[in-house]
Amino acid sequence: MNQTAPMMRVDRLDNGLTLVMEHMPEVQSAAMVLAIMGGAAFDPEYGVGSGNVLSDWILRGAGGRDSRALTAALDSLGMQRSCAVDAVFLRFSASMLAKKLPDALPLVADIFQRAELPEDGFSACRDMALGQIDAIEDEPAQKLNVLLRQQHLPPPLGRPTLGIKEHLASLSAADLRLDYRRRFTPDGAILSIAGRISFDQMHDVVEKHFGSWTGSKAAMMTPGVAPGGSRHVQQETNQVQIGLAFDAVPEREPESILAMLAVNVLSGGMGARLFSEIREKQGLCYAVHAGYQSLRTQGMISGYAGTVPERAQRTLDSFVYELKRMGAGVTPDELERARIGMKSRVVMNGESSSARAAGLLHDMYHLGRPRSLDELRRRVEAPTLAEVNDYLSAHPMEQFTLVTIGPSELAVPK
Amino acid sequence: MSTFKHAKLANNLDIIAEVMPTSTTAAIGFMVKTGARDEEPAVSGVSHFLEHMMFKGTARRSAADINREFDSLGARNNAFTSNEVTCYWAQILPEFLPSALDVLADMMRPALRVDDFTMEKNVILEEISLYLDKPGHVLYERIMEDHFASHPLANSILGSKESIGELTQEQMRHYFDQHYGPGNMVLAAAGQINFDQLVQLAEKYCGQWPTLAVERRYPAVKPASRRHHIRDEKLKRHYLCTLCPGPSAQEMERFAAAILADVIGDHDGSRLFWSLVEPGLAEEADFSTFPHDGLGSFFGYVSCDPAKAARVEETLVKELARVRDAGVTNEEVERSKTKIATSTVMSGELPLGRMRNLCSQWIYNRQFRTLEEDLAEIEKVDAMRIGELLEQYPLSPLTITTLGPGAE
Repeated sequence: MNQTAPMMRVDRLDNGLTLVMEHMPEVQSAAMVLAIMGGAAFDPEYGVGSGNVLSDWILRGAGGRDSRALTAALDSLGMQRSCAVDAVFLRFSASMLAKKLPDALPLVADIFQRAELPEDGFSACRDMALGQIDAIEDEPAQKLNVLLRQQHLPPPLGRPTLGIKEHLASLSAADLRLDYRRRFTPDGAILSIAGRISFDQMHDVVEKHFGSWTGSKAAMMTPGVAPGGSRHVQQETNQVQIGLAFDAVPEREPESILAMLAVNVLSGGMGARLFSEIREKQGLCYAVHAGYQSLRTQGMISGYAGTVPERAQRTLDSFVYELKRMGAGVTPDELERARIGMKSRVVMNGESSSARAAGLLHDMYHLGRPRSLDELRRRVEAPTLAEVNDYLSAHPMEQFTLVTIGPSELAVPK
Repeated sequence: MSTFKHAKLANNLDIIAEVMPTSTTAAIGFMVKTGARDEEPAVSGVSHFLEHMMFKGTARRSAADINREFDSLGARNNAFTSNEVTCYWAQILPEFLPSALDVLADMMRPALRVDDFTMEKNVILEEISLYLDKPGHVLYERIMEDHFASHPLANSILGSKESIGELTQEQMRHYFDQHYGPGNMVLAAAGQINFDQLVQLAEKYCGQWPTLAVERRYPAVKPASRRHHIRDEKLKRHYLCTLCPGPSAQEMERFAAAILADVIGDHDGSRLFWSLVEPGLAEEADFSTFPHDGLGSFFGYVSCDPAKAARVEETLVKELARVRDAGVTNEEVERSKTKIATSTVMSGELPLGRMRNLCSQWIYNRQFRTLEEDLAEIEKVDAMRIGELLEQYPLSPLTITTLGPGAE
């Protein structure tokens, strides 16, 4: 199938903000993500969760508009939007009709540079964060994810992004205002835009509204040592939650595509190993899967399964067995199925302005340059079976971090 | 510019497509007009379990064959079961459409082997356990029972451990034979589609399916105010749901209802946002429409600190009463219209979104609506139309069901 390479452009502003754009002529929409280096890893040592509170508080008025006026302005553009923190970034993501984006960007600029941070909104935002932390206790599968990251990743990268209750309880509005000045800077920030856009028009709007933004990157503490090992949390749940994680090459290394192809053999489609061996053939789980993700210097493969307590040991044993079996390599058929699945997803994501905006951001962060759909497809096509199997042999999936939540502890398979 | 196409086979299978020439992918699906509401109590959960079993093999394919084939087509595929419909869909690159239809159509005549049935029952039981660990789901099932009582919309989609445990393969086969007739299904496609080829292939793969007359019952529902609290001391938060009557999937008022629901309970800037979330009384508050087949509901959901439960409930009820008594403003309506029109356009850009929309419109209304027609209907809504809607559907009688660690 012939496909004209989509047009992309990168502009670097003098203040450290990078603007990356892709023009998609076939859509009516445009999507944007503004990501600052202000995720949970940048929270103060005894203020874990500050970024999460800020992600709500900044929306309570900006640029001279109060909370209601700002909300009305964003709504009048028909914008679907969200603001959240992950380990590294605080991101504001939005989709709308492309013609509205030039009016949306000035509002986003106000939020990131001139947020009102009203006194009367502070306790409500802090209470919301405290409520979100409590709510995780009621959702064991989500809690597992939080605990697995804490166990496997080095601090501060593995921190709970919602926060730590004791830290939030002692947070003050004044502290948080200082934190806003510290964290909300253009240095290292990335603004990605994809959709029916004009590069020059976008550049002009961004230069006008973000050009005078100043400040250097917030400091992040030196990463410590990850706890690793295994941890069990006692909780009377209907299913035992099982999470495993192990190291992988980071995205920016060329070998990362080999890890991704391997993970797709393990858990890409319904014919993949985990689904076939653990769910289809043994009926042990409804949800069982693995995935690859990456920070800039560290990649991670994580696995998940949920099973009723009577069968959880069998599920864990089967999961670990399948991980070990990957070390012996994959078959040509398996690799080709993983490959076609990944290539199809490139094309499918290419139809969506919000998927492309996220993809551009991802590429800028990991590689420092955006990748076209053609390049992403070629990257999947290139590796040989020998290369994938050599990678698996050199990186056995055996040294893992294990976290379980449930009524009783499981024996860790050797 | 997309175009709508329709054909009908001799056995009454409708084939509908929205041809989107600039798309780079295609989405296809079979939607069957059957779901939990069509089940007798003894077979509670059979529609959903059957949906699983449809993937477990046919006369000429095993479960592993089906899974591997979808994977070798690079398909993004899945299925879902609701109270009212079951849908089997795949999104593929256009060159794989004939092969994807081959697999999907073959799946529609499943083998339902006893060994597979026995093994898959374990997966269903795991799924039931998974959802028992999600308070939002537990609450949803309970309020549907509380509100709909003996009406079939009260039926659980998953079924219970008991009903699934006791279900037999013969009962499932009987259910399939009673409901999966071509006249009770639609084959829909959207994206980069060659419609003539699609029809030829449908004739080849589905043309020999026997016709079947399928009826759905439409008993009257007697809405009444009900208040029910479920105590679970293990929970940290308090969860609250409301249900009250709203327009059905057949009524044009459903467009005004979607706008009213957005004004009341959108994530940002809505009545519930300002009265509950912004002041920190609740961390989440939603209000939405549920247009079903022949009747509909408005659905509210809030989660909060258990210590604030009484105040939250009082505030929610007061806000709904305020809307009922005083209506909404034109300014609120315009803002919601803009948001809903935008999200309608954006989901219409993607073949999968359009295919799902096509299926639903056909199964519920035997019609095709263009994106432009939907946008025109949204545009017509103003505060006065919302006022007329509220006279017909005054956000009452209101069923309230709550779940939390407190005593009430």
